[in-house]
Amino acid sequence: MRTGAPAQHDGYFHEAVRYDSDDELLAVVVPFLLGGVEAGEPTFVALGERTARLVRSALPTGCAVGFLPGGDVYARPAVAIRSYRQLLAEQVAAGAGQIRIIGEVPSVSFGATWDWWARYESAINHAYDDFPLWSMCAYDTRMTPARVLADVARTHPRFATPDGRHVPSATWTPPARYLRQHPPVVPDPLQSRPPVVELAEPTAAEARAAVHKADQGQVPADDVEDLVVAVSEIVTNALRHGRPPVRLRVWAGDDRIVATVSDGGHGPVDPFCGLLPVSDGAPGGLGLWITYQSCNHVTWQRDEDGFTLRMTAGNAYVG
Amino acid sequence: MIAPERHSGEGNHVCWTYDDPESLADQAERHLAASLAAGERFWYITPRPGDAVAERLRALPGFAAATRRGAATVVPLVSTYSSDHVIDPAAQVAAYASATAEALADGHTGLRVVAEATELVSTPAKLDVFTRYEHLIDRYMRTSPFSAVCAYHRPTLGERAVAELACMHPSTNVEDLLFRVHAVPPQDGHAAIAGELDMSNHEQFRTALDRADLRPTDDELVLSASDLRFLDHRALTLLADYAHRRGATAVLRTPRSAPARLVDLLSLPGIRVEVVP
Repeated sequence: MRTGAPAQHDGYFHEAVRYDSDDELLAVVVPFLLGGVEAGEPTFVALGERTARLVRSALPTGCAVGFLPGGDVYARPAVAIRSYRQLLAEQVAAGAGQIRIIGEVPSVSFGATWDWWARYESAINHAYDDFPLWSMCAYDTRMTPARVLADVARTHPRFATPDGRHVPSATWTPPARYLRQHPPVVPDPLQSRPPVVELAEPTAAEARAAVHKADQGQVPADDVEDLVVAVSEIVTNALRHGRPPVRLRVWAGDDRIVATVSDGGHGPVDPFCGLLPVSDGAPGGLGLWITYQSCNHVTWQRDEDGFTLRMTAGNAYVG
Repeated sequence: MIAPERHSGEGNHVCWTYDDPESLADQAERHLAASLAAGERFWYITPRPGDAVAERLRALPGFAAATRRGAATVVPLVSTYSSDHVIDPAAQVAAYASATAEALADGHTGLRVVAEATELVSTPAKLDVFTRYEHLIDRYMRTSPFSAVCAYHRPTLGERAVAELACMHPSTNVEDLLFRVHAVPPQDGHAAIAGELDMSNHEQFRTALDRADLRPTDDELVLSASDLRFLDHRALTLLADYAHRRGATAVLRTPRSAPARLVDLLSLPGIRVEVVP
């Protein structure tokens, strides 16, 4: 039994909210949350600190809305998908007919790391479709760049508006199509320098040693270990499933280590690869998913030379 | 390919591969000197008691005297291993245990052997049995004053057989060997795994574990991984499955935190990672 706009909808009802004032945000969010509470539906807020405070102050005291730490939820896209899917599964198991969530991607992600958040916004149309979820993703148009808003319109089937309507997005693009488009990735400035290590056809062991070589203590030890795991998996994938020439490059920055693994192939066939755990044992899918779980930024690039995956440990370049 | 001998704390069981008999003779000579200095009994075991290594040892000053007082001998291979050269691992360990006891009874501090064992692993079936024996004798060495250098002629055996043998030793001169499975003193668990475990040696690791034939106690299979630099999710799953088939949970003791995060992330059943200093 579902209430509100998705009453007749199966699966995930995914909306974006574009607002240019706090009042506009509250005009959409407050009725959305109160409607959930009134219907007895599990209702959550996963906003940043300022907006969460704003929404909290607009709700009646003692209102049964759960507040999730937005910054933690939105640290890495694949982690967000994992934790949300777990939350949703728990709620459904507990008998929920619908779950409502209002969330926002932090504005720090609107720069050079937006690519993987855009992929997130697209992939979740599929990833959360197993659940009776009604969610809204809030974007403050005063601080969201136009290119980000264009992706928001392509990755959300509809918009919720302050006057209570649910308007289809004219440029909505289903994830299977959106995720197969590969806009150019913003280069990390480190990449304009010579790499610390460059290896052709490395073994996985040589690739791991290359990451250790770039470790000058600038990144927490656990993050270095996780990058070693990631690079090992991605080089193994390239050697097994990609095409020659396989090449590894590793750069060392003051606060990060960046590694790229390229091969002459086309990269993973499954467009959700990395963001979602593989369901059908797709080649290399588990290694890529582990990489997305543990690196602070992962990009895909496909061009005439082949496929390149870039991984960052430490503070990702945000542009 | 040949590097100087590297000890890893359990240096009393060494896999020494050689191309040139002279390098084995150098090695045997070093061990003879160390053995005599430590008051041990020393055996050079060879299928050809007149080989170049034996000749080198016999020509050394003091070797004849050491032989007279029972401190150093060249032993023909057939007299220590069964005559058809397909060994019975348990019987062979028992034979060395009694030889060690005899050395102690004769006033020596222990027994050290350098054994040219290439003939004993010359077919896949013999190699399989002998690698199982290598782990059993390794376990015996953790608690007894017995030490061994197992010498193998690389050109005769080939890289693959050499790697399968070397990975069952705590110490080896095989330089490109990526992992090892070896015995530990009983208080440290059921075995140690060392080096790096990934897709490239997954099958070889599986084989090594099967040959080690580890026996869990109290429903746990405890693996000491202090020298394990890396293992991937496949190796973790393999360890969990191996322990499960033996009715136990795998317990990996490692100073590194990444394996614990992987087990947690993948919700891998049947394995627990204990991060130890």
